Amino acid sequence: MSSAVIETKGYSKSFGSQKALTDVSVRVPPGAIGLLGPNGAGKSTFMKCLLQLIPATSGQAYLLGKEVGREGAEIRKRVGYNPEQDCHIPGMVGCEYVTYCAQLCGLPFQAARQRAHEMLDFVGMGQERYRKIDTYSTGMKQRLKLAQAIVHDPEIVFLDEPTNGLDPKGQAQILELVSSLWTVHGISVVLSSHLLHDVDNICEQIIIIAQGKVLVHDTISNLKAKRKGAAEVVVASRTDDLHRAFKAKHWPTEILPNGHVKVEHGSQDLNPIMDLMAEIRIPPVEIIPSPNALEELFVQALETAHEPA
Amino acid sequence: MSLHDVSYKHWDGQHHGIWRRRWVIASNGLRSCLDNRWAKNLVLLAWISCLVQIALLFIVGQLLVEDSVVYTLVAQLDPQIRLIVNGLVSWLIDHPEISVRTTYNILFYFFATNLRFLAMASIVLVIPHLITRDLSSKAIIIYSSKAVSRFDYFLGKFGTVFALLSLVWLGPVVTAWVAGNFLSSNWVFFWHSKTALINALISVIPAMFVLGILALGISALSTKPRAATSYWIILWFVGNAIRGIGEHTKPWLRHVSIPFDLNQISLAVFNLQEELQRAQDNIPLLGTMLREARNNPFGWFEKPDITGTVIALSVMVVAAIAILKQRVKPE
Repeated sequence: MSSAVIETKGYSKSFGSQKALTDVSVRVPPGAIGLLGPNGAGKSTFMKCLLQLIPATSGQAYLLGKEVGREGAEIRKRVGYNPEQDCHIPGMVGCEYVTYCAQLCGLPFQAARQRAHEMLDFVGMGQERYRKIDTYSTGMKQRLKLAQAIVHDPEIVFLDEPTNGLDPKGQAQILELVSSLWTVHGISVVLSSHLLHDVDNICEQIIIIAQGKVLVHDTISNLKAKRKGAAEVVVASRTDDLHRAFKAKHWPTEILPNGHVKVEHGSQDLNPIMDLMAEIRIPPVEIIPSPNALEELFVQALETAHEPA
Repeated sequence: MSLHDVSYKHWDGQHHGIWRRRWVIASNGLRSCLDNRWAKNLVLLAWISCLVQIALLFIVGQLLVEDSVVYTLVAQLDPQIRLIVNGLVSWLIDHPEISVRTTYNILFYFFATNLRFLAMASIVLVIPHLITRDLSSKAIIIYSSKAVSRFDYFLGKFGTVFALLSLVWLGPVVTAWVAGNFLSSNWVFFWHSKTALINALISVIPAMFVLGILALGISALSTKPRAATSYWIILWFVGNAIRGIGEHTKPWLRHVSIPFDLNQISLAVFNLQEELQRAQDNIPLLGTMLREARNNPFGWFEKPDITGTVIALSVMVVAAIAILKQRVKPE
């Protein structure tokens, strides 16, 4: 069994009488981890407690095998954090800021400056790095925050809504960079987002949090496998024939407004659909397995959480 | 397409220790503060004062050299002034161990006291660069997520104030002593004037600590630079006004004034009363003039109220620490 990057036991946080985290116990192996939940679910609180930005009320937590609360400086040396809100130092220019952040992590000045430029290149910032941060657009600030989070070469990086305020192209670029951190460079990523698509694209594991409780923690592939098999079938013609054929098999089905045929075939793989389509001689253009699976899982988890005990 | 490799690279170098990281915070704050034109001018003014002090010490030293320009100039002065100077010269020659000490003590008391004004003024300029801007921009989160604790952050920011105060206060004092002695006519000046340096250090360094902590506290009071600066100015000037009221009503009220409290420490350390008494006893004509000073309002002969001062400054420092603890949090 691989060692856990995050491990918590009965981890709780209250703000007065308000419980932000309740008895969170997880063991998270390295990888790209998606932290999902509606606004106010406790995602950011969970991250901040792990980073000791706020103290937990009770329980134990280990980050990279070190106990949170006891080995703070050692942990923070190996961890990166990209906060949701802007948090630059006024009056500084971009590359100076990232250099300063690297120096705060203990890098010598020369190395810090070199790393700062490398990371600014990595996040796709050009000459604007020599401008004052106060003049940056939201997208530039997001890139800068990502650069400062990874400038000291952390082993795990916490990203709190890193694509907020970015246009679709910028979002795709940032997600690609984030994805490469784990898949190419072996840096674990904890991505907190309310955008399911972002998490689905780059994460292998998800933790769904709602009302301060962990509802689901598993790999996305496992979760998809546990669901009843479903697919969206795209055909060039004879959509109605296909729809009827699925109905004849007693599979719940519907024709979507975009012309695709959605079907719940109940199997772990797509073979039953392929066999049926071969039988009725309708060639598929595309078969999309488990479309919107994460959305459905998410909604399902939230509904479970709201059910009365 | 980039002309160079823009992929992510790992870094496996040696990390600096915590003191280096604290120094990074301090030096960054100082650099940011010295970007301000007024701060640069203030530092310049402090060093000009230092040059004036060195010149004064040089003149004192030259009085012992019979063929010096200073000696010749003194010979051409008004007979009464010449008499005082001659008295000082003969005292310097006959009892250098006492006279050099007394002269330097008096000169350094006034020098350190005058520079205290610049120190107080420099805090007006440094306050926004301490904690205020970090609070307003939420940069505290960045510090807290790096390998520095809240204590390290405070220590770094304290280093910024301390460095600035060193530039406008401690640095000129020490430099003036060293340079003044180098320019003196006799190397024994170094030995005889050591008390003046020790007294200056004993009164200036604790004052810098107190001012540094108070500046941090005030800086954490607001997220708006102007408001934080105003709080310091209010504390300074209102304190002085209350001190004025306290002179005529309740003497303990005077301790609300920071400059008054710091001056009490200086008076206790330099023991100016004893030094002036010694000068008065040794230079008869100067003695006549100083007898007037016993009744003047400068308070040189007043016995300092150290207990009240320590209590007042302690209360202020504790309040500043409480503000820091309460206000400076990542969330």
